[in-house]
Amino acid sequence: MNKLTVDGIGKRYVLGANAEERKPAGLMRRLAARLRRAGPGDESQQSREFWALRDVSFTVEPGTVLGVIGANGAGKTTLLKILARIITPTEGRVAGSGRVVSLLELGSGFDPDLSARENIFLNAAMLGVPRAVVARRFDQILEFAEVDKFVDTPLKHYSSGMYLRLAFSVAINMEPSILLADEILAVGDESFQERCLERVKLEAERGLTVLFVSHDMEAIVRVCNRTLWLNAGRIFGLGDSEEIVAEYQNSVWARGLTGAEKGRHANRFGVIHDVRIVTEDGREVRGMATSDMTYLRMRFELLENHLLACAAYDVRARGQLIFRTADPLGMRLFRNGGTWEALMRLPHRFFNEMTYSVVPSLTVAREGDGRRQYVLMGEPLSFIVYAPDGTERKEKDFRPSGYLTPQFRWRFQPVEDKPEGAKAIERF
Amino acid sequence: MSVFEGTVFERTNEAWVIEPQREGARARAVELWRYRRLLWFLAVRTVKDLYEGMSLGIFWLFARPLLPILVGGFVFGGLLGLPSDGVPYVLFFMTGFVSWSLFDRSLLFGTRCLDRHKGLIKRLYFPRLISPVAGVAPAAAYFVIYVVLMAVVASFYLWKDGVLYVQVGPTLLVAVLMAAFAVFCALSVVLFTCVFQARHKETRFGLRYFTQFWMYLTPVFYPISVVPPEHRWLIYINPMAPVVATFRWGILGVGEVPLVPLATSFAIAVVAMAAGIWFFTANEASTVDRL
Repeated sequence: MNKLTVDGIGKRYVLGANAEERKPAGLMRRLAARLRRAGPGDESQQSREFWALRDVSFTVEPGTVLGVIGANGAGKTTLLKILARIITPTEGRVAGSGRVVSLLELGSGFDPDLSARENIFLNAAMLGVPRAVVARRFDQILEFAEVDKFVDTPLKHYSSGMYLRLAFSVAINMEPSILLADEILAVGDESFQERCLERVKLEAERGLTVLFVSHDMEAIVRVCNRTLWLNAGRIFGLGDSEEIVAEYQNSVWARGLTGAEKGRHANRFGVIHDVRIVTEDGREVRGMATSDMTYLRMRFELLENHLLACAAYDVRARGQLIFRTADPLGMRLFRNGGTWEALMRLPHRFFNEMTYSVVPSLTVAREGDGRRQYVLMGEPLSFIVYAPDGTERKEKDFRPSGYLTPQFRWRFQPVEDKPEGAKAIERF
Repeated sequence: MSVFEGTVFERTNEAWVIEPQREGARARAVELWRYRRLLWFLAVRTVKDLYEGMSLGIFWLFARPLLPILVGGFVFGGLLGLPSDGVPYVLFFMTGFVSWSLFDRSLLFGTRCLDRHKGLIKRLYFPRLISPVAGVAPAAAYFVIYVVLMAVVASFYLWKDGVLYVQVGPTLLVAVLMAAFAVFCALSVVLFTCVFQARHKETRFGLRYFTQFWMYLTPVFYPISVVPPEHRWLIYINPMAPVVATFRWGILGVGEVPLVPLATSFAIAVVAMAAGIWFFTANEASTVDRL
């Protein structure tokens, strides 16, 4: 089976073309421009051009589940629509093989007046799938969608969950080579989402290539082997899902800073320079084994003498805040300004094998002016925690062990056979 | 997961490429064939959409064409007393009107096809050429209803005059061919107009204006025999005129079969169709972006 090759894809829209063209003035202008043979190269045109996608190139091996992430308007849907042939690219080339089935919008190929049975065949016709394939898979489609009892009910009486189940089931059973799924799984309940993701994984093992757009980072990390990060129509990152997701989330975080919390990187009291993972002997590292003992080092600069400061970290994984921790002493007094570093020891056998990101913060106050506190935020840092033998993470599914794997002290002791109540009565 | 274990996977391994320029005519034809079943679904859906939510749906289908026929028959046949080549004027008028309105309605319905199928086009890929072809389906539905009405009128005259004006025989096949050709002609124009319609919503109104005028140039109300032979070429310049005349001849056996004008319109329609397919294909991508 061939791989999917996307080579320099771009999609250009001309902003306001629609409205402009409809006005008589716009029409005349266009006609005049055409007569003058000005063509599309003229200046006013270029300034209104908008590239929804530009220079996007990547290859996907068969059997890969590729996550596609990015902020709204990053071009995720445009990319999927190009692959689904709904829109034609302005430049570039995509080469692939086999059947492409898309799940871009819920129920787009369904007719609400027809029953599920008729709709399954209608959908197949719309996807250009031979009737024989559908007939062969008919029972499986119904079974997976759990709508066997409602085969002959018109779809307008279906709940949105049933709609989704049917749509997904039809799509995955059309024997696609490439499945394009855009966010729609978010509609289903948890158990169905679970089953969908499982099924996607299973089909991927059989050579199905999936492009999965989602804002659910948890799901992305769980099912996607690789992740593509789009930003403003260009590729920002492509690689291991966990790393890309961590980077993406750090950037989302950083953007939040420049937006609502503008200028909080530094203020007149201090600035956080960086935060790093360092080993016992002071080497900076990007990752660590679960058995390693390392330090989180925050370097910051205090711009005045006699300041009170308290350092803290937010630790996140897969978009969740795992814990927040601060200097247990609270506000410390720094008699001298200048650059300081705070070392926080990270316990071993505490982090699970995944990518975490930490956001440093520093609360600063003037001595004797305790009520006015200023919070400084630093650039987030992401770090990878891997298995002690140095091998890469094998099991992506962290659910059996959770976000953290702390070690606790255990004690076992025999229990006297008489229950509490009986003892109390005896004592009485 | 035991359900899936037994299934044999038959993934097609056909390679494809997506590029700004679409693939050649042959590949597109193959693709069109692969999606042929969609044409029927889409056509049925287009007809159904027209009468959705109306409680008297099927009644309207019959009631709507009845009025223009009765009014037309009364005004032109009764009041103006136009000649009708020896058959009852209503029947004469109907044959002309049926074939003309098949063309006219195909044109108007087809022009709106991209608008009508917008929801689907923006969400799903299928060869876009299917949309205009399915778009003329309502016109075909009207045509069938007209034919039923025509049969009713013909049997009325059979009862009244004792004459079956309709020529039952192989000439009816000619009428069927002409009907198909009328749709073909309409489609060749639709391929242009539906693209315009997607950009300028007034296309349809302009078109309607134009076709009403066009109808009077076509021998719908009057027989070609009222025109002096030396001036008939003026009528036959209009490519639809021989189609309507031949359709009428096929049903009623009156008038003439203008072979040379018919061949000319056929040539014009084929050229227009080829140009239309080219135009539609060339503008497909930018039109879909604008929907």
